[in-house]
Amino acid sequence: MSEMKIISKDKLADFLKALNGDHEVIVPSIENGTLIMGTMGSVKMETGFNGRPLISPKEYFFPQREKIFTFNAKDSKNVDIKEHTNTAKRVIWGVRPCDLYAIKTMDTIFMSNYVDTYYKARRDNTVVMGLNCNEPCATCFCDSWNTGPFAHDAFDVLFTDLGDKYLVNVGSEKGKKAVAKSAKLFSAATDADKAGSDNLEKKSKQAFKRSIRSSDVKKKLPASWDDKLWNEEALPCILCGGCNFVCPTCHCFNIEDIVEGANVSTRIRYWDSCQLGGFTQMAAENTREHQSERLRQRIFHKCFYTANKYNGVPGCTGCGRCIEVCPADIDITHILGRVTSK
Amino acid sequence: MTNSINEISGAEVILVIGSNTTEQHPLISHQLIKAVKNGSKLIVADPRKTQMAKLAGLYLSLKPGSDVALLNGMMNYIISEGLYDKQFVETRTEGFEELKKAVADCTPQKASQITGIPAEQIIQAAKTYAGSKKSSIVYCMGVTQHTTGVDNVMSCANLAMLTGNIGKESTGVNPLRGQSNVQGACDMGGLPNVFTGYQAVNNDELRQKFEKAWGVTLSPKPGLTATQMIECAHDGRVKAMYIMGENPMVSDPDSNHTEKSLKKLEFLVVQDIFLTETAKLAHVVLPGVSPAEKDGTFSNTERRVQRIRKAIDPVGNSKPDWQIICELSTQCGYKMDYASPEEIMKEIAKLTPSYGGISYGRLENGGLFWPCPTPEHPGTPYLHKDKFARGLGKFMPITYKQPVELPDGDYPFMLTTGRTGFHYHTGTMTRRVPVLNREVPGSYVEISKGDATKLGIRNGAMMKVSSRRGQIVVKARVVDTIQEGLVFIPFHFAEAAANRLTAANLDPVAKIPEYKVCAVKLERN
Repeated sequence: MSEMKIISKDKLADFLKALNGDHEVIVPSIENGTLIMGTMGSVKMETGFNGRPLISPKEYFFPQREKIFTFNAKDSKNVDIKEHTNTAKRVIWGVRPCDLYAIKTMDTIFMSNYVDTYYKARRDNTVVMGLNCNEPCATCFCDSWNTGPFAHDAFDVLFTDLGDKYLVNVGSEKGKKAVAKSAKLFSAATDADKAGSDNLEKKSKQAFKRSIRSSDVKKKLPASWDDKLWNEEALPCILCGGCNFVCPTCHCFNIEDIVEGANVSTRIRYWDSCQLGGFTQMAAENTREHQSERLRQRIFHKCFYTANKYNGVPGCTGCGRCIEVCPADIDITHILGRVTSK
Repeated sequence: MTNSINEISGAEVILVIGSNTTEQHPLISHQLIKAVKNGSKLIVADPRKTQMAKLAGLYLSLKPGSDVALLNGMMNYIISEGLYDKQFVETRTEGFEELKKAVADCTPQKASQITGIPAEQIIQAAKTYAGSKKSSIVYCMGVTQHTTGVDNVMSCANLAMLTGNIGKESTGVNPLRGQSNVQGACDMGGLPNVFTGYQAVNNDELRQKFEKAWGVTLSPKPGLTATQMIECAHDGRVKAMYIMGENPMVSDPDSNHTEKSLKKLEFLVVQDIFLTETAKLAHVVLPGVSPAEKDGTFSNTERRVQRIRKAIDPVGNSKPDWQIICELSTQCGYKMDYASPEEIMKEIAKLTPSYGGISYGRLENGGLFWPCPTPEHPGTPYLHKDKFARGLGKFMPITYKQPVELPDGDYPFMLTTGRTGFHYHTGTMTRRVPVLNREVPGSYVEISKGDATKLGIRNGAMMKVSSRRGQIVVKARVVDTIQEGLVFIPFHFAEAAANRLTAANLDPVAKIPEYKVCAVKLERN
């Protein structure tokens, strides 16, 4: 797509610092042994890490809880509405391929048919810089969905760790501008650099501990609707909603008005979970009353509905977070394994 | 717990009795689920077919309050079939003959009549539990909240000792404590009869140690338990109370009586983070802080002392509890001027043998399990290795006693109370969370399909539930997971408080109320 560049590892911080003036720069960091994302300057940047943080970067576009607007009703004809769109500029560095593709999916959901202005404001003002995975982590299976371990699109800038340097691939105008700001830090990549990257990708692909048969999933999932597997797999679920909250593509939210004064209220929205009974509770009935139906909904939504509705964009990117976080050891790869083995 | 949480999944057999683990201790249920997936055998005894019961290989549907009969029935079979650990009994315990005598009458058939569990299931449980050298017992308030609470706990200990299933990794007796720091509160002497680390106030030598350290004279007389205080407030023997982080107006049994008692006090101080039903009765309310606003330690159910760290400054005029207590004490004439919780921990370590080796520096990497007597001691993930605290483990001969208030013609249903996974205790915090309120917006009564049919009611019908002490109106939840004749109401909800119905019948030793059994009647509202 574009020309490949090289930046030496010890110059990465300089590159990001150059953007720091008008952007908040988000970088990976390790806190008490846990990989997190944080603002450069307030956290120590970490470059030599494997895997992805447990909380996905979706929080930078679609925060767990956000104010959307405040309304002030002076009288019945006079209502002031102030929207809380966030246009602060951000760079996120170190986004893994699973999350790059998840952002692409979220873009499709939030910005294709109906444009969500709050999401769009954040998204338009963010430069996403990916980092390929030279080694998969214990719960991930992105390779099976073709959403990793190396990204081939869906980034502004993409980095590949070649030891003491990064191979840099620019994928958008936003990325081009960011790189141009520190042009002198970059040199042209050689064929050997590109071959090195290809080699790393091959090696990484061979190191996966989990896999699913994605083409069979699409074929066989509909027939599993009435299977007893949903009951069996849902049995230990303790309804914590963790799978939804860590998922980089889960986007359901609830809305609430917080009354702040006699005439003033603020409408907020926050992440919701389809695993909770109240999520689909109607006045008299619950359309998904049993946990088995709610688990089935999550898996169908991730692995079937999203791709069907949005032209093949993946609902699940194989990041493995839901497996890692589940206190009941509910494992999407195990479930899909049961589905495809029928 | 005699074991640590991570050891649970290593047990070959786990008997869960009186614990709705997935809802009340979800992270511990994770260990149980892991154990089952790894092939461990899970036995669950509970009057309700809880989620844990559905995950179990063997589910024992016992009548509330019949725990001793079940455990004695198992021990009767284990002894008569010679399945007990003779070497362990000989070398580590005393009182075996007395135990043998106490359980001699309680054959599995007899136990079956009392518990309602088929005799062959009691035998299967006995064989399975005694058949492994790595068996563990997990229990919770279904065991303790009875007038026989102490008997129930001791029977669990008897069973573990009888089969040698204690004092090893993954193998022991594991009561699950609820609140994040309730273990710590007890460790710190938040009990009427002990100082920190369970050092008895009536032991002269120990008391003198504290008198010397604090430069005061201390009473050798044990004080009152929380449940006794309410009784004494009622009859005027207690005139003032200072209640911290507790909401007895909703959590104590027989709320109408509790309300009368608290209103009789000449002076009531309540320290809490919200204006609870109890705080509303107070003459003075002291605003405390939430865990996010304070530094210190929590000691959890596995005896692990862990640091908590302040994330935000106290909101408004609120203060951490330790600061409020220090300032009050100073006002009352005894100067307390600790600079920080860390300084208090230094004093705890100095005066408390089981915390002797605990210091903030050592808590940085995940905390320490007490007993941890010296700064070099690594802590103790499991208890009773080689030797019990008192030397030999003492079998307690216990026989079954029935609950105090059983159903009769006027009040034909048995009520058992408990909690849901979506609310915490009296709902002071969780009922302020919209998503949790959406899941469980208010109180309800679980009733079996059979009983619902007999009463002619459907799911969602409003029911008037009354006992000899009070009445509430709640929605019926018709379920197939509860015994006929038994109903269940969660106690979180002040506006329809289950404790308006419960009785303040107390265990004679621990003074814990029998929240798990009382008699009620149900009518369509």
